[in-house]
Amino acid sequence: MSTTNAPAKPGRSLGRTLLQGGTVIALLALIGFFFAMRPDVFLSFTNVKNILFQVSILAIIASAQTVVMVVGDFDLSLGAISSLAGAVAAALMLGGVPMWIAISVAAGVGLLIGLANGFLIAYLRLSAFVATLATMTSVVGLAYLVTAGTTLFSLPEGFNNLGQGKFLNVPLPVYIAIVISLIIWSILRFTTLGRSWSATGGNQEVARLSGVNVRRARLLAFTLAGVVSAIGGIILAARLGSASAVQGSDNMMFSVAAVFLGMTVIRSGMANLGGTMVGVTIIGVMSNGLNILGVNSYVQQVVTGLIIIAAVTLSSLKNRER
Amino acid sequence: MNAATTTVDSSHTIALEARDIFKHFDGVHALSGAKLSVRKGEIHALLGENGAGKSTLVKVLTGLYTPDSGTIVQNGSDVEFANVRVANRAGIVALYQELSIIPSISVAENIMLGEQTPNRGGLVQWKTLRRGAQEQLDRLNQKIPLGELAGELSPVQQTMVAFARALATNAQVLILDEPTASLTDTEIKDLFAVLRKLRDQGVAIVYVSHRLEEVFELCDRLTIMRNGETIITKNVADSNIDEVISTMVGRAAGELYPERGTATSTVALTVEKVDGRKVKDISFTAHKGEVLGIGGLAGSGRSELLRILAGAQKHTAGTITVGDKTLRPSPGVSRALEAGIALVPEERRSQGVILSATIQDNIALANIPGVSSFGLVSGARIVDITRRGMLDLQIKARGPRQPVGELSGGNQQKVVLAKMLARKPKVLLMDEPTRGIDVGTKAEIYRLIRELAAGGTTIIAVSSELPELMGMSDRIIIMHEGQISGEVQAATATEEILLAYCYGKADSHVNN
Repeated sequence: MSTTNAPAKPGRSLGRTLLQGGTVIALLALIGFFFAMRPDVFLSFTNVKNILFQVSILAIIASAQTVVMVVGDFDLSLGAISSLAGAVAAALMLGGVPMWIAISVAAGVGLLIGLANGFLIAYLRLSAFVATLATMTSVVGLAYLVTAGTTLFSLPEGFNNLGQGKFLNVPLPVYIAIVISLIIWSILRFTTLGRSWSATGGNQEVARLSGVNVRRARLLAFTLAGVVSAIGGIILAARLGSASAVQGSDNMMFSVAAVFLGMTVIRSGMANLGGTMVGVTIIGVMSNGLNILGVNSYVQQVVTGLIIIAAVTLSSLKNRER
Repeated sequence: MNAATTTVDSSHTIALEARDIFKHFDGVHALSGAKLSVRKGEIHALLGENGAGKSTLVKVLTGLYTPDSGTIVQNGSDVEFANVRVANRAGIVALYQELSIIPSISVAENIMLGEQTPNRGGLVQWKTLRRGAQEQLDRLNQKIPLGELAGELSPVQQTMVAFARALATNAQVLILDEPTASLTDTEIKDLFAVLRKLRDQGVAIVYVSHRLEEVFELCDRLTIMRNGETIITKNVADSNIDEVISTMVGRAAGELYPERGTATSTVALTVEKVDGRKVKDISFTAHKGEVLGIGGLAGSGRSELLRILAGAQKHTAGTITVGDKTLRPSPGVSRALEAGIALVPEERRSQGVILSATIQDNIALANIPGVSSFGLVSGARIVDITRRGMLDLQIKARGPRQPVGELSGGNQQKVVLAKMLARKPKVLLMDEPTRGIDVGTKAEIYRLIRELAAGGTTIIAVSSELPELMGMSDRIIIMHEGQISGEVQAATATEEILLAYCYGKADSHVNN
């Protein structure tokens, strides 16, 4: 029974390859499509730069979401955390607090909320859905309190430069997003913490019985996600030059979509940062392309939902293959 | 090889027949030419070792799996069961130990569940429901209050409710998987009386069990499977236990186990007065180089004891000492590992390995301190310990990066072992070390256990199978309801003595 199982080796059939590379192929097809529609505009340096600029905040928040999803959970409050962090930073600066202190406090707020999420989920054993839905609700409320329900603007020039400034003609947020995702990628890949995250996401009980401190791993994952989302929200406020209570909320669903798309990129079907970036790019390219073609932005939202469905279907098909 | 088909006697009508069933998963053949033919009004034992294909065959018969090839014949005509519901409608019902009843609703509702619930335009006809439920309980001679919540019943009563439901669906073929596992002797007698009654009413019963004595007491015919094939079908009266065992194993039982070693007198592990959720007042010592077997019925606290020793579960009292170092209470897995205690858990797929992860990632998991420095993991060191583990244990795989889910059960178990052995444990705890593994790999695992013991490791292994317990251990401890009920040298142990301890009857003999 153990010796003659040659057919066990998965053949590289065409169908399998398509399924495997489906997400990347879809991205290339999208790019091809928009390029064919508007060859003069779509792949121009300015537009590519635009796409990168547009997705930079999403890339940061999706990195945070990836960490949580590697551990096998998800976090609905990341968008709200980013809005609150932007609002806190803006409110403090308008109150005369120096820029870097305001930014640090805002990031600290994100850290605390992430820590609270992690504590509720890992130690009090609430489901991630209930816990982060509840914190999301409260955090949105806090953001409204901080902004007094309005949009805060006239932020200091130096702060706005973080989001609007350029280096080598490329906007700063692009660099920040690249640095943050590289850091998270390295943590996931090279550190014992990253190992214990993916083990926990693979099978909590196995990880625990192997000596991994599962609860601490989950706590730290949510905490890191909180800080990183807060940074994303701060950069967003700088880019817009203003802060409102809901400006980051779209990024929550888009970040989940990006991670789901990314899960289809690799063979094991686990959340992974490289894949998430492919997902972020798909969402960015699509939104930019549809804009160029003059398609209504509400339609883009509808399409994003459909993409999540397609991605999840694709990954469940893959799992059935195994 | 004997043909499995029996000559069709006109007095026996065949209720259900499986012909030449093949089924494979991920390239591993779970069934290759399995056959089974069950007559109306008989109790038919389906026997075989773990991994022989019994449960796969049952799942094919009940529509849970679709076979790759082969036919199922019911009452003379070919049938195909697309899913469990279709098989149920055709009168084929399997009852598993755990599930079968819904604890939060009444006995009557349990019996008349789903399509059996009498209703008029969606409104439940309670009177009809109760009458129908009572009818089925009467057929079984059971006096169970209809209004009681099913969860409040004793295990045997719950089994009876599950039977009654099967009867309510007009079951013609009843498949029972280890129905006596959690029952006491008297309850087993009651159950047998009910089964005989059902048989006399013309129900065909397939009885899957590891308890051969029961088979010989209860069943009319038996079918033995090995490695996915049906080896023989026979009248129980024409067979005997020794023949059944050697047919199941495919060789004489003795050859499976290596020679015993000589345990030293150096104490490696001392357990003193340990209490847990179920276990009470457990004290014993284990020696360097000793293989200590732990037996007992399911639920006797064996697994909990191992989990406590491994730091995976809290204990409320007592001390655990490795060598001369006493662990702090409830140390947690990672401290227990550091102290030299490692656990190979019971459920390989849910507790032992991450199926989607590669062999090297799985092995690295329990060895993070060994493959990292300052919080950074070293890929080279991971590959290194993985290659060594794969070589030492002869893990058959394409390479260290193959996902564990693609390996056979035996090789998965070796990955769990490799993962823990890389920690060089002083005490290796193994919970059901050969569950769901083919005979060849079993022999390898036994040899490995012996080699480790010879190298000075202490092995503590829990097993539900008495022959395994006697074959692999030097000394055996038996647990009963959370306490140690007996201790025997394996060389002088008999199944009878062990069983008596299992049932907590230290001095009397068990009469089956």
